[in-house]
Amino acid sequence: MNSPVKNWREAKKLHIYPGKKGKIVTWTNVFVAPNGFEHEVPYKVAIVELLDGQRITAQVTDSDRDVEIGQKVIVVIRRIGKQNPDDVIEYGIKVKPL
Amino acid sequence: MKIHVAGVGLTRFGELWNKSLEDLAMEAAGQAISDARIDKQKIGAIFVANMLSSKLYGQDHLGAVVTSALGINAAALRVEGACASGGLAVHMAVQSLLSGMYEHVLVVGVEKMTDVLPSLITTALSGAGSEDERRAGLTFPGLYALMARMHMQTYGTTREQMAAVAVKNHFHASLNDRAHFQFEISIEKVLTSPTISNPFTLFDASPISDGAAAVVLSSKPIKKGVVITGSAVATDTIGLDKRKNLTELTATTIAAKKAWKQSGVGVKNIDVMEVHDCFTIAEIMAMEDLGFCAKGEGGRFIESGQTRLGKKLPVNPSGGLKACGHPVGATGIKQIVEIVQQLRGVSGKRQVSGAKVGLTHNVGGTGATVVVHILQK
Repeated sequence: MNSPVKNWREAKKLHIYPGKKGKIVTWTNVFVAPNGFEHEVPYKVAIVELLDGQRITAQVTDSDRDVEIGQKVIVVIRRIGKQNPDDVIEYGIKVKPL
Repeated sequence: MKIHVAGVGLTRFGELWNKSLEDLAMEAAGQAISDARIDKQKIGAIFVANMLSSKLYGQDHLGAVVTSALGINAAALRVEGACASGGLAVHMAVQSLLSGMYEHVLVVGVEKMTDVLPSLITTALSGAGSEDERRAGLTFPGLYALMARMHMQTYGTTREQMAAVAVKNHFHASLNDRAHFQFEISIEKVLTSPTISNPFTLFDASPISDGAAAVVLSSKPIKKGVVITGSAVATDTIGLDKRKNLTELTATTIAAKKAWKQSGVGVKNIDVMEVHDCFTIAEIMAMEDLGFCAKGEGGRFIESGQTRLGKKLPVNPSGGLKACGHPVGATGIKQIVEIVQQLRGVSGKRQVSGAKVGLTHNVGGTGATVVVHILQK
């Protein structure tokens, strides 16, 4: 569901995350994607524990390397999925291996 | 608690191109009503379990869809709790009987899934998880894969042990004429099938199926038969990343504890059970979380063979979600139907001899909702 208002509301929460570091708790490599993500397969998704103890769920980006449990990562802002030409582009958090 | 299961009904599960959602619901409901030998006008309320008809067909208001097809004016409503919709609907029906408001109620679980493209189904099913998980592009295989990898890392659970779940459940389904996949597979077949979400391959996953199941429940016995003696629901965080422990479904342990207390039976009394094996790791975790083996031993427990038909503790004699099929809203009710037939002693080639006490375990999402029922002869 792409809603400009929802995107605006969600985007306001993002600023606290970029630059935060953490470790991969567990991960998977997705080969069968939902709508909007088909062009990215296979892509890696991880649950990451940040240094402050908070856990987040995010795609692993900017790397073709295999990842493993315990891998150190940093949070970055990236475009999320693929929208229709008329829709507002959605941004969110992903993690980049360090 | 003593709720009588007066009648049961079950359609074939599979890719049923020539049957609509309404056709399936009516087939199962009709069987359950005639099995109960009850006049349909005596049904006080109908609970319809379904997850996806709004998203896939734009059809809401399923309570009235079923009553209009049945030609009755009873109270009717839809119950939704992702893949636990069926178990939840039975739980609601039990409550309605315990309240004394109704004497006989019908529970129908139905899902029609094979009319649309897999990417739409994958998207629709992701509604069972959290917003953050959808934004990360996670799918249901992906979410259970996150737990599977953690289980492998923590307890040394192997791919072969996971594959053993699929092999066993396909064997059981090969004896079930209602099952989606009525054929056997090998460990090698599971391990070499295409990867869907690492570490899972295609054969770790339950299929996308059409089907329906129904039960008539009564507060007073119509005839001597099976009774529900425990009906428990527990919940947990909707998203996995809010949980400390990713190798167990805490809601399963809580629901099981409640169900043991209600029914007065325990792990040692269970003769047969249907558990929620949406992915192979889920059956391994269910064995541990329900208390049938120690935490971390689930893989070895399944691999030992004792949960196969003919052995000590048969698990998923129907073939489970994995091989009998997983029409989401129908699943929790199909589990009840299978256990009722086992306790009645009418399961034919799949009969667990002398079964007196059975359990069903139905999970919504990644364990955000869990329903456990205890049934006794």
